[in-house]
Amino acid sequence: MTEPIIDPIINVDHVTKSYGSFTVLKDLCFSVMPGEKLALIGPSGSGKTTILRTLMTLERIDSGFVRVDGDYLFHMERNGRVVPADEAHLHRMRAKIGMVFQLFNLFPHKTVLENVTLAPMLTKGVRAAEAQRRAMELLEMVGMAGKANSMPAALSGGQKQRVAIARALALQPRIMLFDEVTSALDPELVEEVLNVMRMLGTQTDMTMLLVTHEMSFAHDFADRVLFFDRGRIVEEGPPGEIFTNPRHERTQTFLKKIIAAGQRI
Amino acid sequence: MEWDWAFVREIMPTLLDGLKITVLATVLGSVLAAVVGLAFALLRRSPNRLVSRTTAFLVEFIRGTPLLVQLYFLFYVLPGAGILLSPLTAGVIGLGVHYATYMAEVFRAGIDNTPRGQWEAAKACNLTAVQTWQHIILPQAIPPMIPALANYFVAMFKETPLLSAITVVELMSQARSIANFNYRYLEPMTLVGVLFLAISLIAVPALHLLERRFRRYR
Ligand SMILES: Nc1ncnc2c1ncn2[C@@H]1O[C@H](COP(=O)(O)OP(=O)(O)OP(=O)(O)O)[C@@H](O)[C@H]1O
Ligand SMILES: [Mg+2]
Repeated sequence: MTEPIIDPIINVDHVTKSYGSFTVLKDLCFSVMPGEKLALIGPSGSGKTTILRTLMTLERIDSGFVRVDGDYLFHMERNGRVVPADEAHLHRMRAKIGMVFQLFNLFPHKTVLENVTLAPMLTKGVRAAEAQRRAMELLEMVGMAGKANSMPAALSGGQKQRVAIARALALQPRIMLFDEVTSALDPELVEEVLNVMRMLGTQTDMTMLLVTHEMSFAHDFADRVLFFDRGRIVEEGPPGEIFTNPRHERTQTFLKKIIAAGQRI
Repeated sequence: MEWDWAFVREIMPTLLDGLKITVLATVLGSVLAAVVGLAFALLRRSPNRLVSRTTAFLVEFIRGTPLLVQLYFLFYVLPGAGILLSPLTAGVIGLGVHYATYMAEVFRAGIDNTPRGQWEAAKACNLTAVQTWQHIILPQAIPPMIPALANYFVAMFKETPLLSAITVVELMSQARSIANFNYRYLEPMTLVGVLFLAISLIAVPALHLLERRFRRYR
């Protein structure tokens, strides 16, 4: 008997992206296996946010291919030819992916509950009662059920971020992207959000990609760490290796700076 | 010249008939201006350059020509092309489309002020473009615009006497015919002023109330 071959759920294949003359992603290649928890670390401006935004289709790429769950993200096959994706294709692909933003981006004119029910009702035709039941379960899970009828403006940063996580989960994506979701929080609120992430990591089989500057969290949480520098992956491996025994000189310098800044790893 | 209360009582019903038409023209014109103004604002953002350029030109053209000329055009010129409009219809279209060009600017500013993160969150939630406009962008963009829109509503209201030029029997034209018939201008013209002022004074706080109601989330 042979091992069943599992295909990656994300495949980034020679992707390049520039802003004007500045190349943010340089011929980038990596794959993510289903259920894998991946941490993206690296210095500021190295392209970590850009790659997450690209996977969410908030950015377009200049060249290369991205495959998600077996299908091209920015291309589609038509009459046996690969052509640029149309809006309908992007819409289908986005259903597989959810994203949580650094600055929450909750809908300020909707209650907490409405923030979570809106997308399932609009995009999946879920009935209001069912959407609310599901939303309350998710809010319960992130510890926000008590605030279901509050407006986002009345919440702390940590609470907003937990609602934002529930909102993304409501669409049941196979892949979740987290872009520095604790960076905008007061230090005492970081842990409540990290706890929710830990729970998602252990209790779901979602594929999770997170960009973070919380090295000790990345160490405990991730199956694999990608170290980005100037639009490239310089080094990758299990957290035990990357954090305790980095091979590349740039990774070593980066981690030294982090430790000098007072973080434990 | 003596103020004559008996004359006031006599002409009041006729003036109030005129006021009804004035208010009707303003309300219909406002609705049209808001809808067409929003359409102008959206079309100007179209990724299709031909659509956005044409809209921009049309808006500039309408804003750059006098409302009175546009009214004459709608009412006296269009029939030559076989398009016959009643005076009130021509008046409402003229007022509405003219003010739509100003309101488009208000909508544009309001839409541009909606944070980029809201568009991105809508996309991450997999909403379509139409759903994003309907449920995310416009409900946030419109409440802060209400004071500016309200100013235009009041300005439109005060411009309705222009409609008398195309035979709409609104407040001003009623007052003028009463005055011409009786050779007395004091009471009719004073009452026109008072009625306009009264409606403006009621409308402005009412619109502000509306704004606060919509902004419950702030
Ligand atoms: N819209 C844009 N236009 C021009 N340059 C941009 C744009 N967005 C990002 N950049 C640039 O691209 C580079 C990579 O940005 P990115 O946000 O991906 O970095 P990052 O690794 O997430 O950094 P950080 O840790 O600071 O969040 C940065 O130098 C940034 O200034
Ligand atoms: Mg970033």
